[in-house]
Amino acid sequence: MALHSYRIAREPYYCPAGDEIALFEAAHADRLPVMLKGPTGCGKTRFVEHMAWRLGRPLVTVACNEDLTASDLLGRYLLEAEGTVWQDGPLTLAVRHGAICYLDEVVEARADTTVVIHPLTDDRRALPLDKRNELLTAHPDFQLVVAYNPGYQSVAKDLKESTKQRFAALEFGYPAAPVEAAIVAHEAGIEPAMARRVVAVAERSRNLRGRGLEEGASTRMLIHAGRLIARGVAPEAACRMAIVLPLTDDPDLRDALAAAVGACF
Amino acid sequence: MDGVGGDIALADVERRLRAYGAALWGSDPPLRPLVREGDPAALRPRFDADLVRLPAVWPTLDLYRAALAHAGAHRMFSRPWPAKGLKPLLTIVVSLVEDARVEHLAMRRLPGLRRLWAPFHRVEPSPSLMAADLLERLARALFDTGYRDGNAWVDKGQRLFFERPERWDDPNFSLALGGDLAGDLGKTRVQINARGHRVDPPYRDDNGGLWLYDTPPEPPRDADDPLEAVRPEPAEGEGTRRNGPPQDSSAPAPLAVADTTALRPVARYPEWDHRIGLHRPDFVQLVECEPELRRPLEAPADPRLAGRVRALVRHAVVARPERLRRQKDGDDLDLDACIAASAARRHGHAPDMRVFRRVRRRGRDLSVLLLLDASHSTNDPANDRAGDGTVLDLERRSADLLAGALAAAGDRFALAAFRSDGREAVHWLPVKRFAEPYDAAARGRLAGLDGRWSTRMGAAIRHAGAALAAQPTLRRLLLLVTDGEPSDIDCPDPRHLVEDARKAVRELTGRGIDVVCVALGGDPHTHHRIFGRRNVLPVDRVERLPDILPTVYVRLTG
Repeated sequence: MALHSYRIAREPYYCPAGDEIALFEAAHADRLPVMLKGPTGCGKTRFVEHMAWRLGRPLVTVACNEDLTASDLLGRYLLEAEGTVWQDGPLTLAVRHGAICYLDEVVEARADTTVVIHPLTDDRRALPLDKRNELLTAHPDFQLVVAYNPGYQSVAKDLKESTKQRFAALEFGYPAAPVEAAIVAHEAGIEPAMARRVVAVAERSRNLRGRGLEEGASTRMLIHAGRLIARGVAPEAACRMAIVLPLTDDPDLRDALAAAVGACF
Repeated sequence: MDGVGGDIALADVERRLRAYGAALWGSDPPLRPLVREGDPAALRPRFDADLVRLPAVWPTLDLYRAALAHAGAHRMFSRPWPAKGLKPLLTIVVSLVEDARVEHLAMRRLPGLRRLWAPFHRVEPSPSLMAADLLERLARALFDTGYRDGNAWVDKGQRLFFERPERWDDPNFSLALGGDLAGDLGKTRVQINARGHRVDPPYRDDNGGLWLYDTPPEPPRDADDPLEAVRPEPAEGEGTRRNGPPQDSSAPAPLAVADTTALRPVARYPEWDHRIGLHRPDFVQLVECEPELRRPLEAPADPRLAGRVRALVRHAVVARPERLRRQKDGDDLDLDACIAASAARRHGHAPDMRVFRRVRRRGRDLSVLLLLDASHSTNDPANDRAGDGTVLDLERRSADLLAGALAAAGDRFALAAFRSDGREAVHWLPVKRFAEPYDAAARGRLAGLDGRWSTRMGAAIRHAGAALAAQPTLRRLLLLVTDGEPSDIDCPDPRHLVEDARKAVRELTGRGIDVVCVALGGDPHTHHRIFGRRNVLPVDRVERLPDILPTVYVRLTG
């Protein structure tokens, strides 16, 4: 089976913040393209993994970047001893064999790249591979999911209107403090009381969003800090290493944030 | 702000303190220095709904932090009470209990604050029955459960305070317990100097923010105020810290440079008459004159802003696609290379496996002409919170920021200004030509621009188009920065110059030159009419420049 290695064997931990699981299941039942919006490290990718596991579908993930070309998604000819051979790209793979294709940070891809998904995301559900002269009809199980972070999207980096309007969207944010603490406690393996303190640090940093920080600490960062704490690092030192120093290079903000971290423990 | 009696100046740490306060409490009130005659050690912070005032100089940064954390706790958990009719002693004791209450609430959320505040509670048990001593010891007793004083009044306060911590959430708890304790203190005949009372420890504010007086909103300073003694003088000296007042803007216009500098007619341009639907040939004369040299503008106040603009300009890809052959990796096979590789293999040679080709955008292929409006209206004050500058200041600062970024990115760009004095004298003031570097002289010319006369936009746009058309790049951009709409002394019909400018923009667009207007005020409808809705970017502050630049570049790269 072509996508065997893309199957998710064990349940990825995911703590729902609302009814997103039911909504996604409904969208999947109709194979609607879904767009996940939310800040970095708030659990978009984990959610997709969880849903792929829950729905029993393979998951093909592509991290988009500005050098990503259409061929990187669709596939290309390679030269072998006997001549040329076509190699499916990740999107083609998912379309052909029926997987959830997840394009992470989709706005990073150039606009001319993202238009290749257009025929897949309307009722045609087909992928033209012009180089192969093939019109590939999507496998019934194929679903497209894209994710991006609207927070730092500038005008230069935004989806075309014609792309946007093909998707149903789910919005993600950082979970409410008790939920986030439960997540940190589970993922990092620390006591719930300590996890609550780490989440308090995150609130401090999120207060600085727009006051010098582009973004506050993500849930992922908190888990990193929690893991350091679980390894026996003192909480303040762990938060400094996993949160304060990665977040900013501005000495004033760093000092303020370090002092605020001190207030949390 | 020279370190009299202290080591840390508020001005030096203000930014990090504000960030600290914002991180703790999520609100970011402005900080103002508290300036008062007398003993600096007696100064206490104060806060109200909008401001936190801190001594201009204080011994340690931790004292500032402690004060800010304490004031933040009040702003978070305290609701001011009406002070009318209350005795000074009552308000003092209630305030003290309230201080302890909000601190404990704050420490529930942020336990580390205990380590910040504890070092300031240094008073030890003593037999003194002076009110000030008793109050300070009560402050410590209410902060520190482990503290044992021995005085019956202090112990009672401590016992009642810690008896029912679940009542701390109720602000009236302070009123009740404080009232009780104040009553006890009134019965003993301890001496209290309500007027000279000083809150201790020093990080705590003067409690002025806890009480509502009859004379809001001014900070009360009338002698009838029952709590006048509890608070230091209201701080004066606000607004002493404004960053970088624009140095030359308010000065009267210098001597008419244009009269002394040789006016060089450089071109004649047609003007569009919308009533007859025809160009009037050679109708406008454009003269070039050198702007006066002045001291260059200071570097932008916020280096991070400059950095962001620079990064945006640098990362904008403005280039024509380029096909790279014989690549190791690529989107398509390079057929020639494939044949060569197959042939080599059949000959028994090692084939060159660089058999791909790909398309890439490399290099930068863009010319920008930044054209500033230097008409009289640019002397009007701008809607700019960074200072009391004029529109021209805003133009100059934005232009300097952008020019620095363009120079750093190595883009071809020119910078000029225009204004007009009738159709025979449309002035063109070159600040930097395409071939010149953006150096101190250019920056001096930029600083030397002044606002005079009128705005005959069409001729300036046509001249800019001529300059841009000569540039050998793929994309050419005219960025016109203006505050108003076209007008001139010899044009009674306001529509005439608007239509002419619109025509001029269309002529440029037809030659493949993008025209974008950065509008610093003015009538948006006129701008939309001239430039087209999509090509007008309204900007009210120089800080917004990074937000609008991408809009310009996306147009060029898209």
